[in-house]
Amino acid sequence: MGLLTILKKLKQKEKEMRILMLGLDNAGKTTIVKRLMGEPIDTISPTLGFNIKTMDHKGYKLNVWDVGGQKSLRTYWKNYFESTDGLIWVVDSADRRRLEDCKEEMHKLLQEERLEGATLLIFANKQDLPGAVTAEDIAQILDLESIKTHHWKIYKASAITAENLLEGINWIVEDISKRVFYND
Amino acid sequence: MSKELLDSPTSIEIDDFQEKDTREPNLFDKTIGYIEDLLMDEQFQSLQQNFLDKYWREFEPVEENKLIYTDVFNEYNKIIESYITVRLEKSIPNFSMEGFISELNKRRSELDGEVFDVLLTFTDFLAFKELILDYRAVQEGKVFDLSDGIIVKPLNLKN
Repeated sequence: MGLLTILKKLKQKEKEMRILMLGLDNAGKTTIVKRLMGEPIDTISPTLGFNIKTMDHKGYKLNVWDVGGQKSLRTYWKNYFESTDGLIWVVDSADRRRLEDCKEEMHKLLQEERLEGATLLIFANKQDLPGAVTAEDIAQILDLESIKTHHWKIYKASAITAENLLEGINWIVEDISKRVFYND
Repeated sequence: MSKELLDSPTSIEIDDFQEKDTREPNLFDKTIGYIEDLLMDEQFQSLQQNFLDKYWREFEPVEENKLIYTDVFNEYNKIIESYITVRLEKSIPNFSMEGFISELNKRRSELDGEVFDVLLTFTDFLAFKELILDYRAVQEGKVFDLSDGIIVKPLNLKN
């Protein structure tokens, strides 16, 4: 590692966290972030690159990286792993057809060395839609119980009604802070 | 100038080194001083300028970032890093970046000079995006370039 990378790690500001949001395309990653930021969510188009948002949350500064989820973009995800404290995996609960795909992509991520130790929050999004698969069923389909390498938790959620968005963020921030800041 | 005088600086240097005056900056502080200087000099300004010049067309003043920004940003970090390394190797005999980095590690609690803030700005993606978009605005004539009227002079922080 070079001088700048080392310095960045050494001087990493206390109370700052890097959160990476991933998931298949159309899962609602950008909508969730905008909703959390209190921004309008009626004109969101598919993310072809990435967005960075900074949120203040309970005395922590969260740097949220939201990267596009289309298949052709997924090979670029790895460029955003470095220094990630928390991973938010967003699932389109109404897209039954692709839940297997969703499971595969998520488990691939969990094997990544640079995501080792990152806290995993899963949003079973779009619970406001009729026919959405329940969070319990999604937990089963994604085989969450098999995850032993990361702290994880799943929340049923909706970017439209904002259900559980804050609760999820509260949980991930608390988990990271216990891990990173108190045990240092 | 007599030969004696020409020869003398070498011996003085050696004496200085041996005296180990406690106020004499050590290698670590000297290195920091060098970094401060080389970030101020023209060579660095033009390195930065050339880089921005090469890539500003890629950047657009919209919120969403293109994936290519990340490559450009990583290259920017690499270029700055190697510039610093090469310049330090030229200025300090037997300079080792590894040695310097391990010294940084040891002193992590005391790294609070302004130079560290400057170095950290280089690693901040959003700061970089702002820099290159400002550059773009100037190139496109959207803002009046005030820099012509400003003379940048290095501030000598050493006594």
